[in-house]
Amino acid sequence: MTQTRNLIDENGKRIDGRGIDELRTVKLTIGSVKNADGSAFIEFGKNKILAAVYGPREVHPKHMALPDRCVLRCRYHMSPFSTDTRKNPAPSRREVEISKVMREALEPALMLQDYPRAAIDVFVEVLQSDGGSRCAGITAASVALADAGINMHDLVASCAAGKVDNKIVLDINDEEDKEGQADMPVAYMPRLEQLTLLQLDGRLAPEQFNECLDKAISGCKMVYEIQKQALMQKYFGNETELKEEPQ
Amino acid sequence: MSSSKRSTIIVEHLRKQQMWDSLSRGKRLDGRDFSEMRQLIIETDIIKKANGSARVKLGDTEVIAGVKVETGEPFEGLENKGALIVSAEVLPTASPYIEPGPPDEEVVELARVVDRGVRESEMIDLDKLVLVPGKIVYTIFVDCSVLNADGNLFDATSYATVAALLTSKLPVFEVQDQKVVDSGNTQPMPVTSMPVSITAARIGDYVLIDPSAEEEACMDSRITITTTDEGFCATQKGHTGSFTPDQIKKAAEAATIKGKEVRARLKEFLVSNG
Amino acid sequence: MHEVKRRYVIPGDKIAEGNFRPLMNVIKSGNALVATRIGIAETGRDGVKVIPLSGVYIPRVNDLVIGKIIDHSSLSWEVDINSCFSAHLPAQDVFGRDFSPARDDMTKHFAIGDMITARIIAFDRTRDPMLTVQDRDLGKIPRGELLRISATRVPRLIGKRGSMIQTIEQATQTRVLIGQNGIVVVTGRSPEGVNLAVRAIRMVEEEAHTANLTQRIKGLLNVPDTPPPQERGPLTVGASKPQEIESTIDEVEEELEVEGEK
Repeated sequence: MTQTRNLIDENGKRIDGRGIDELRTVKLTIGSVKNADGSAFIEFGKNKILAAVYGPREVHPKHMALPDRCVLRCRYHMSPFSTDTRKNPAPSRREVEISKVMREALEPALMLQDYPRAAIDVFVEVLQSDGGSRCAGITAASVALADAGINMHDLVASCAAGKVDNKIVLDINDEEDKEGQADMPVAYMPRLEQLTLLQLDGRLAPEQFNECLDKAISGCKMVYEIQKQALMQKYFGNETELKEEPQ
Repeated sequence: MSSSKRSTIIVEHLRKQQMWDSLSRGKRLDGRDFSEMRQLIIETDIIKKANGSARVKLGDTEVIAGVKVETGEPFEGLENKGALIVSAEVLPTASPYIEPGPPDEEVVELARVVDRGVRESEMIDLDKLVLVPGKIVYTIFVDCSVLNADGNLFDATSYATVAALLTSKLPVFEVQDQKVVDSGNTQPMPVTSMPVSITAARIGDYVLIDPSAEEEACMDSRITITTTDEGFCATQKGHTGSFTPDQIKKAAEAATIKGKEVRARLKEFLVSNG
Repeated sequence: MHEVKRRYVIPGDKIAEGNFRPLMNVIKSGNALVATRIGIAETGRDGVKVIPLSGVYIPRVNDLVIGKIIDHSSLSWEVDINSCFSAHLPAQDVFGRDFSPARDDMTKHFAIGDMITARIIAFDRTRDPMLTVQDRDLGKIPRGELLRISATRVPRLIGKRGSMIQTIEQATQTRVLIGQNGIVVVTGRSPEGVNLAVRAIRMVEEEAHTANLTQRIKGLLNVPDTPPPQERGPLTVGASKPQEIESTIDEVEEELEVEGEK
């Protein structure tokens, strides 16, 4: 798509004041959904997204159970009031697609063979959306899965990079998504250094592809630090070192 | 078609014993009196993209309501009034017993009862929300999402709806050259009254205000009564048991008294809204 | 007493490198031993394990569990054991080999909603857990205050050789039934005692991972901070119970070693 206005000014500042390598403010709150086995609420820029996990639990209907591993079910859904124009509550094709790529982004990190004949349900609800909601959703879902005590190889951190004013920038927001030139959401397992989600929407010149990918991965690493800190804070409080109990 | 269901939550016999013990001594399992409500927390303006929003926590039940204002055709038969629609969804995050899918009869009932309270109380002066009589009116959508379910979704959803509407900023639409244009200005929602719903559950001969999920799993019947400053505007009896007329009258009395208390809380938001 | 290094971990954290054996909640990834859950990692002579701090109860054979009867067929009761699978209690276990649906009425024995103490006698990847109540002190729980805690906190609540739970029982004059699945039932003569026991249990649940917990619990219960009893003393009520709990601990510890060998 061709841009109609400048999204980066002459000082390198974007329309929300960020530099091209700057992540929006991210805040994670863990465990707010009391009934769920694990949950995380994320504020990623103006995105406000809730992820809740139930599992492992019984599969209903029973015939959907798999004999040798767990069934993973993901639902990405946007609340009607989450977007500029009201969205019909019924699932759109976009939500169906995102539910699928979200599941495929999380599944490689989970040790599903540990829970045969059971199900793990991941529900991501977008309460307010502002560009990059699938990345924020995956980030929150991964934390919720850890909160639920599911065996995982690694966390999954997710972030997007994009092209705006012909420059590769980190973590594009809603306006940059709508008016910019490309959007590349990525999900990444930091310890294993593996990608689990990659999509591209827009146009990149051959030399820009690698730059965009690298930038997105660097964003994932920043997001990972936030996930880690939130989990440590929730579970271990301000204790970073374990103190021995006198025997 | 509506059919009887297997009860989803089976309450442990030990808890039932404890409950009866407790009720006979005038207290509920969580220590409350029969007419005591759980802690109510109301926050508004949490979804900036919406015209109005509120998050309500009633005990552990948590509901978010968002208001989106658009323009559209008036309802049939109501050509000179703005349109208002309340919808609700109990998210699959809310409890282990919810399955994703189109709203079931319980959720449809929830939305309609909340809607009825708002509509019959004439909370919003819909006469003021007409652009072109008979053709174009303001359409107010209130969408509620239950994030965590721990009983009494009716009241929590109702308070979220009312708080969101109270604090909504209505766009000022204008008609220019036969097209509707958003002038960019906002106005407060034309509020004329404040409906408050109070729900009670009957367990044996005990009538308990603001039931928790566990109490609802043990209840015989339920009644939701919505009041305004002037009187009653909506009622719904629910679940498969019955009430004596006397129990209903006592519940109506409690709904008036408790309703006043909750209304005072909601009014705090009205004062601070522009 | 071999040295044990302990650390807080989240999934994906590298705990150690080298020739260590992965035990509970740890996998070997290349040369590294990696945590698969949030918890406390322990590196010792016999291997590396993570004591989890969250997670749904996964059934294990020989576990003592407290379950709720939720349904029955003509041949067995379906029991909710607060896990990802429902368990089954065969009618034969209760009525004997010559059980006959025509003659023996299942509902008279256990009704929907009844709470029972049971032991898991069978469970594997292909079928739901099977229970038995054919043991001393198993069966329907007649009364008591019910609480749920995270199953991951049960070992801490029981304590080494039952020390934590006995401290609570003795100080509050209560008897506490603990299922490995996180269901707890407290009975006692006085409501104050029961309430205090419940508070202590909640405190253990919330602070299971912290240091000096025993001290703080004793503070809550107004008990002098002396070393825990070496041998369990006789209790006035339910003297057989601590043995059950103790044998459960031994089994848990054995189980941990066995699991590490997988």
